[in-house]
Amino acid sequence: MKKGLMLTLLLALSVTFMSCQRGGGGAGGTASNGAPRIAFVMKTANNPFFIEMQKGAEAEAKKLGVELVVQAAEREVDVEKQMQIVENLIQTRVAALCVTPSGSREIVPAVNKANAAGIPVVIVDTRVDAKALADAKGRVATFIGSDNYEGGKLAGEFIAKSLNGKGKVAILEGIPGHETGDSRIRGFREALKASPGIEIVASQTANWERDQGFNVFQNILQSHPEVQAVFACSDLMALGALEAIAAAKKTGQIMVVGFDASDEARAAVTKGTMGATVAQSPAQMGALAVENAYHLIKGEPIKEEIVVPIKLITKENAGSSNPGK
Amino acid sequence: MRPGRIALRQNFLSHYGRQLGTLSGLVALSLVLWALSPHFLTVSNLLNIAEQATIISIVAVGMTFVIITGGIDLSVGSVLAFSGVVMASALQRGVPLPLALASGLGVGLACGAVNGLLITVGRLPPFIATLGMMSVARGTALMFTEGRPISGFSENFRWFATGEVLRVPASVVIMICVYAVAHFVLRRTKLGRYTYAIGGNEEAALLSGVGVRAYKTLVYGIAGLLSGLAAILLTARLNSAQPIAGMMYELDAIAATVIGGTSLLGGEGTVAGTLVGALIMAVLRNGLNLLGVSSFIQQIVIGSVIIVAVLIDMALKRRGK
Amino acid sequence: MLNIITNYNSILAHIPDTMHTNIFLGREPTRAPGVIDQRAIFRAAARALEDLGLSLDPRTPVKALRVAEQQMVEVAKALSLDARVLIMDEPTAALTEHEIRELFATIRRLKGKGVSVVYISHRMEELFEIGDRVTVLRDGRTVGTYDVRATDKSELIRLMVNRELTDLFPKEHAARGAEALRVEHLSTEGGLKDVSFSLHRGEILGVAGLLGAGRTELARAIFGLDKLTAGAIYVGGEARRIGSPRAAIDAGLGFLTEDRKGQGLVLPLSVRENLCLSSVDKFTKWGVVDSAREREAANRYVKELRIRTPSLDQKVVYLSGGNQQKVVLSKWLCSEAEVFIFDEPTRGVDVGAKAEIYQLMNRLTASGVAIIMISSEMLEVLGMSDRVLVMRAGRIAGEFSAAAATQENILQCALGE
Repeated sequence: MKKGLMLTLLLALSVTFMSCQRGGGGAGGTASNGAPRIAFVMKTANNPFFIEMQKGAEAEAKKLGVELVVQAAEREVDVEKQMQIVENLIQTRVAALCVTPSGSREIVPAVNKANAAGIPVVIVDTRVDAKALADAKGRVATFIGSDNYEGGKLAGEFIAKSLNGKGKVAILEGIPGHETGDSRIRGFREALKASPGIEIVASQTANWERDQGFNVFQNILQSHPEVQAVFACSDLMALGALEAIAAAKKTGQIMVVGFDASDEARAAVTKGTMGATVAQSPAQMGALAVENAYHLIKGEPIKEEIVVPIKLITKENAGSSNPGK
Repeated sequence: MRPGRIALRQNFLSHYGRQLGTLSGLVALSLVLWALSPHFLTVSNLLNIAEQATIISIVAVGMTFVIITGGIDLSVGSVLAFSGVVMASALQRGVPLPLALASGLGVGLACGAVNGLLITVGRLPPFIATLGMMSVARGTALMFTEGRPISGFSENFRWFATGEVLRVPASVVIMICVYAVAHFVLRRTKLGRYTYAIGGNEEAALLSGVGVRAYKTLVYGIAGLLSGLAAILLTARLNSAQPIAGMMYELDAIAATVIGGTSLLGGEGTVAGTLVGALIMAVLRNGLNLLGVSSFIQQIVIGSVIIVAVLIDMALKRRGK
Repeated sequence: MLNIITNYNSILAHIPDTMHTNIFLGREPTRAPGVIDQRAIFRAAARALEDLGLSLDPRTPVKALRVAEQQMVEVAKALSLDARVLIMDEPTAALTEHEIRELFATIRRLKGKGVSVVYISHRMEELFEIGDRVTVLRDGRTVGTYDVRATDKSELIRLMVNRELTDLFPKEHAARGAEALRVEHLSTEGGLKDVSFSLHRGEILGVAGLLGAGRTELARAIFGLDKLTAGAIYVGGEARRIGSPRAAIDAGLGFLTEDRKGQGLVLPLSVRENLCLSSVDKFTKWGVVDSAREREAANRYVKELRIRTPSLDQKVVYLSGGNQQKVVLSKWLCSEAEVFIFDEPTRGVDVGAKAEIYQLMNRLTASGVAIIMISSEMLEVLGMSDRVLVMRAGRIAGEFSAAAATQENILQCALGE
């Protein structure tokens, strides 16, 4: 009886693994067919931004004929899980590692481990904290990402212009300590300095999440009903804020500016419910990451930093295709 | 066979039979992974798994004590974060290492003791008391740090993550020590005896002169203390203490405990089983990463394994009678 | 339809529900799918209760009822199902004399309506009172079925135990020693009012009274479970402040509760662990339990009390009721108790084990231990006590010497007639 149960478990597990094994297998840094293997560890697999990035990376991998393993933690903020994933992939001796760090400083020990295993590291989207990296004597091959500071500035200028330099705005922050969100806010605040008539009445975190964007902005509306515009550090939070505005029956009265230019945000901009969104090109980022990882494997020199262009999507250009595609 | 020997055998099976069940599950899982991935059964990967299991498994020891008393502690993850940031800020302010470590452990112990007092003196159900603490500790950690992680520590402190004892990672050695002590405490000490007695029948324990309130409070204190210890290891590992660290750890710890054969009804359970449970989860996560399984499917597999493991355990238990 | 009614703490008692919803639990009449027809339930419940001659409001929560009334609710439930056969398993275990009368009247009424009843009981006298035929089981086998008029109690007992129990109550009078326990003017919030008595070494003090007369409350107060609002407790002539069971145990008291599984034993723990639970300190040094010494002590009691268990590590849950009771008794022996409080010591214990427990009480008193024995079994009180206290409504209503006590005068005193 006991044996029977064990056997059933064993069988069930084998079946699960076999059916899940697509893309796995192969020894060393090369897949069974001899193609080099590149690992791509993302913050999460369920955010449209990273889904775009994954698509771009996969398309590029196919083009170059390399094998790509994409992994992500269940939750975007789970730095410890991300570290475990990196450690585990190091065990499979991938040829190169691309990472979008869940934490700018927390990723450093993982970078150290990859360094020790001789695996080159490509950082995507979120910068590694320079000081922490230097202190730990870690090395990254390159950073590929948008200029988030510039993106925040674009958003700030757009809001200042729309409000004619006068009014009250709110900010929905990402998780504090995230380099991307922090840079966007710095850029945004910098742009508003040129318009002394604009006052930032609230700046609160919604932890990158849509439902929290809804709740937090609903609360802001309670305490500051006169808010005229909101800048959200990501589209998910912006879309949450949009719902909160609709729930308060104020659709169209408050300008919402997001970041990421996800499909849903673009549609909202086209419709006019959302003012603008800052377009990063996640797909292009993913593609560039794989491309540069490939160069690294081949021993070819690459740039230390690769900036992916950023632009503001407004009603005028919302229909045009994603530059990354 | 002599009756004495039969009794002995029964005794052995009733004590260890269930762990053997879980242990054979771990072995089976490992065999499957060994067959599927050439990277699985290497010394470096096994050490890697052990290292990854340390934090949850240490938290799970505290959880095992609490669950044996028939309670539950949902606050362990938040308490971990709170202890971590207090210790980290102490370190950054130049507090000597032993004192800083003590501050982290102290915060954990204090939070646990408050849980215990809410449950024993305040007569709150453990679920509610620790649910409240989960939120209070998390919020305090966020307030204390203004939501930002505290990072960058001395090499001395980082020893907890980078150090080795006889070529075994320091954190793994610490974990083994924690399990050895916990096993001894549960099996051989008065505290252990009372822990089982309280969970097995609180009223009978009280009527037998067990200081139920004091010992229950102590047990929750231990759970908090171990969260503090896990915080030291996590902070060293990431070289950063995050106020949002340890989210959902309570569920992983409960899963490890339950997979390990501890009954949620209390009165039964062993830390050896919990260790096997924590290792099953770690091996599974590691294996799924090695095989490049998508994170969505990983969640399905992990959830299914928890359910199957407990189903098997229950079937074995019924047969054991 | 067959329906089973058990004594043990009917499941209903744990459901914080009202009677009428209880009676129809799981088969509620509905108005629309999923919508319970409350009024129809109420009417039907009222009718079912009326049939039984119960004047109860069907909306009363079951928890608020006495055990006897809860059983009646179960009978009502069975009747509302049109049960033709009722199985009653020890229905009177938790009932008082008066309630038993009510139950028997109900059974006779049901019998008149053509309902067949299988009545399972340890209490011989009940079988002869309510039964038409009696079947004796032993070790899971039928020994035989007899017409009650053609047999008698001692024959049934002989069939049950397969050996003649010449004397069910082998009372031996021990020498009365010094004062072991004295309580003066005890009162508690639980309903104890100005209770005073004393107890001597070698003495068994029976405490009789109806359910709810305050007998268990008396035990709880002495054992430090309920807070005293007034009064004092002297153990061995010395005033002791007993604020917790620990203090009571340290003072030399032991309490065998009526609810053996609920309060006496930690079922998932072993014989050894249960046996040493109240005296772990004796075997502990620096917090570590010396299991060798513990085993030695446990082994001694297992031998001495002839506890039938395959090993010291057997979980007590697998022991029989009588052996479980002996484990509880050993626990107090192990913590060197000198005053024992037995609350319903032989409830749920078979005839053979009962006799053994009485023998043990004799041995205890012979060794100078004092015993307070709370019991609802009149014969037990009369058979084993040196003195009998009768309680009523939280007070001591009367005291009888063994020679003066009879069923009639105890019952009269308990009823306040």
